[in-house]
Amino acid sequence: MNKTKALICVIIPILLIYALNTKFGDTPPLLKFLNPFTGFWQNAERLSVNPNQSIVLKGTREKIEIVFDDRMIPHVFAQNDHDAYYAQGYVTAMHRLWQMDFQTRYAAGRLCEVVGKKAIELDRYQRRMGMVYGAQKSMDGMMADPQAKEMIFAYTAGINDYIHSLSGAKMPLEYKLLDFKPEDWTPLKCALLLKQMSAVLAMGSDEFYMTNIRNKFGNDVLKDLFPDYPFKEDPIIPTGTKWNFKPLPLPEAPADPGNITAGNIRTKEKEEGIGSNNWALSGSKTLSGFPILANDPHLDLSLPSIWYQIQLHAPGLNTYGVSLPGAPGIIIGFNEKIAWGVTNVAADILDFYQIKFKDSTHRSYWYNNQWKNTTFQIEKIKIRGEAAENDTVFYTHHGPVVYLEKPKSFAKSNNIPVGSALRWIAHDKSNELKTFYLLNRGKNYNDYRKALTYFTAPAQNFIFASVDNDIAITANGKFPLKWKNQGKFVMDGSDPKNDWQGWIPADQNPTVKNPPRGFVSSANQSSTDQTYPYYINWEFSPYERGKRINDRLTVMTNATADSIRRMQTDNYSIHAQNLLPSAMKLIDEGKLNATQKEGFSIVKKWNKYYDAEAVAASIFDLWTKRLQYDIWDDDFTVANIPMKYPSRDRTVQLILNEPDSKWIDNVNTPATETLSDLVLESFKFACDSLEKKYGPIGKDWEWANLKHTNVPHLAKIPGFGSKTLMIGGGKMTINALSETNGPSWRMVIELGKSPKGHGVFPGGQSGNPGSKFYDNMIDTWANGQLYDLFLMQSPTDPSARIISKLKISKK
Amino acid sequence: MVFIVILIASFLLQMVLPWWIIVVISFVTCGLIGKTGKIAMWSPFFAVLLLWTGVALFKSLPNGNILATRVAEMFGVKLWWLVLMISSVLGAVVAGLSGYCGYQFRKAVLFKKASA
Repeated sequence: MNKTKALICVIIPILLIYALNTKFGDTPPLLKFLNPFTGFWQNAERLSVNPNQSIVLKGTREKIEIVFDDRMIPHVFAQNDHDAYYAQGYVTAMHRLWQMDFQTRYAAGRLCEVVGKKAIELDRYQRRMGMVYGAQKSMDGMMADPQAKEMIFAYTAGINDYIHSLSGAKMPLEYKLLDFKPEDWTPLKCALLLKQMSAVLAMGSDEFYMTNIRNKFGNDVLKDLFPDYPFKEDPIIPTGTKWNFKPLPLPEAPADPGNITAGNIRTKEKEEGIGSNNWALSGSKTLSGFPILANDPHLDLSLPSIWYQIQLHAPGLNTYGVSLPGAPGIIIGFNEKIAWGVTNVAADILDFYQIKFKDSTHRSYWYNNQWKNTTFQIEKIKIRGEAAENDTVFYTHHGPVVYLEKPKSFAKSNNIPVGSALRWIAHDKSNELKTFYLLNRGKNYNDYRKALTYFTAPAQNFIFASVDNDIAITANGKFPLKWKNQGKFVMDGSDPKNDWQGWIPADQNPTVKNPPRGFVSSANQSSTDQTYPYYINWEFSPYERGKRINDRLTVMTNATADSIRRMQTDNYSIHAQNLLPSAMKLIDEGKLNATQKEGFSIVKKWNKYYDAEAVAASIFDLWTKRLQYDIWDDDFTVANIPMKYPSRDRTVQLILNEPDSKWIDNVNTPATETLSDLVLESFKFACDSLEKKYGPIGKDWEWANLKHTNVPHLAKIPGFGSKTLMIGGGKMTINALSETNGPSWRMVIELGKSPKGHGVFPGGQSGNPGSKFYDNMIDTWANGQLYDLFLMQSPTDPSARIISKLKISKK
Repeated sequence: MVFIVILIASFLLQMVLPWWIIVVISFVTCGLIGKTGKIAMWSPFFAVLLLWTGVALFKSLPNGNILATRVAEMFGVKLWWLVLMISSVLGAVVAGLSGYCGYQFRKAVLFKKASA
């Protein structure tokens, strides 16, 4: 009796501790998270900033001085290269540790370790795509280069010295919420992060769709509807630019690409909006007489912000820009002499090969008329709260066989043909960091050209401007030397002619320097006109953004940073300009109801800008999407044969030039539809669905309300993202904003005796949701304004507003 | 007395030990010097309520309650001070129950001794 009571009195408190200190499902360990001594309250940063701090770290070689400006951007003053990257690692971890850790775990297929079994398919996918395999190859490349090696080791040491200084109470908030602890950083994690960038920018592929379409409709239709060059284009390297090199002979294509049955697979199409803009004007077009360079990379926006701003100053180095948390150096930025930026090329550097295995052991496969052995790798996936899982991945000489069996209900796998091997540039040895090492220190055009030769993937349009009044752009990366259209379809993995057989020499990558038009630009459209002797890809992003940029730059004179800034937020739609005049004529107003009529007159008066309050933009956007559906869906949506619609470009061509095309008729109805029928139906559909959702035409119909732009938290934690931002822009305008995708960094650099930088990203320097520097730049970004960027000459340079200083000494 | 002891011990020990040390403190303190069940229940309750509210405010007010507001949104309760209440009251209830258990434990053990 008494023993029982005593026992109960002990058990209750123990149960309480257990229940409130343990994570159940997605519920955080409640009191571990809520208590004010070690829980989230400790992450509430004071609004006032500590002005002076000094710490002793044995990892540093000499004294380092870091000053933080009024947006908490660190300006690192070091005495040598090692210390500059060491400090970069330290401050980046100080602000972004959880983000760096989480992103590299994601890349490496190690999420199950922290979130449990629910991430198992994602982990398998990352590993089976060869992310770690590629990162290791990349490490080999970086370790072979003394400068890259020093960068990466110093950066890693800086991160780890910060991690080791962390007490439990100061652990970033998300660790407390998800209940795990940071682990030591490794050089491999830097490589993983760069690979993940390749995965984001260069993992799309439509070769399965293309294979299905060829099988269903034949080559003639394919050539007609999926041409190798767009109807409307304004290429990155201006049309007519001469290629002053003797091209290598192209490899021979196989006689017949073969009957590949792509079958029941869906591909992930490259999402439009993952693209970017950049441009540079020569001094002849600017007020100052010196070049201006602008760049805005579009990515899936998130908090903590994708980018981290920093200035690095050491002997031989003084550069400012944005870095990726987890990789040393500056990716997009400027120094006293030059400025540079990037947009995605979308080269075809990912191919699938159908593999014929000898038997179900998958130990050998047919290649070049003989059986060849596979190798295999066992991926051990640790799972929180459960036994680890071993997953075997077979490798051919092409690369990993991603799936032998399709996982159920995992969206990313829809992308992958079962039993096919993946050949992907991201699996090759590379040393991208060296490119940024050299650019950060670059002084002139020659330094720029040399830096580019080290860059493998993801291929980027590197734009450049220098104080010597040189401007240039290069579609740059390691491009396989392919026969025309190699990889447009799934290929037969047994024929050596289908293998990648060499590389386009780096100095023959499409490039232009100081073109007569006085500017260079890119917006992910075709790299070149059709005279370029090599095949890079058959399809690029639609040309509208590029066209608008070029139209504006062509007429621009006496440009200033402000005219360029306003251009970055230009919402004008070239698509509307191309389509509206013809489409409006096809609508018979007599057939519209009252709301539709009102909508019609609004569109008629529209200035074609996707502004926040533009009701016409909402109607036009829905209307044209529906029209595309009306034209193509009956032909291209067939059960069990996944295909994709022809491009927007081809659709516009059809509407403008082929109104009597056989594709217009809906094959599922007895009637013969005309283009006017479809245009009318889609217009009514757009107005009706808006009315259904938002009531009569009014404020709720405004484009910003429909688009609903916001910046979510990286792990989609509610409350940690931004509010909805009522702003304009659209995927096909220069200001390429959609719901959660858009300009992740806007930068304008005016070169000159001393360069002037301007920039902003949607978020803040700190990754801590409890810091006022977590999202302090969002409103400025949303309003289309830029901040001044301070390229300081010394820690006491009065040009910057410094709010805090951190001194690091060895002893 | 119980109140003061728990308040001070909880404050000092939580600087270095996990939150659940308040369970041990309440249990032991009330087990040793808790005079009545009521005291053993309410002294730790109010000691932890006061301590946790105080420390949370000490961190949150200079932060302009930015973080507490975000966490409130995460939990779906909208107002930052509700998160504060939930935190403190939950901690207080745990402490109160532990204190009461400590007191009852002593009674159980003493009763055993007396009858032996």
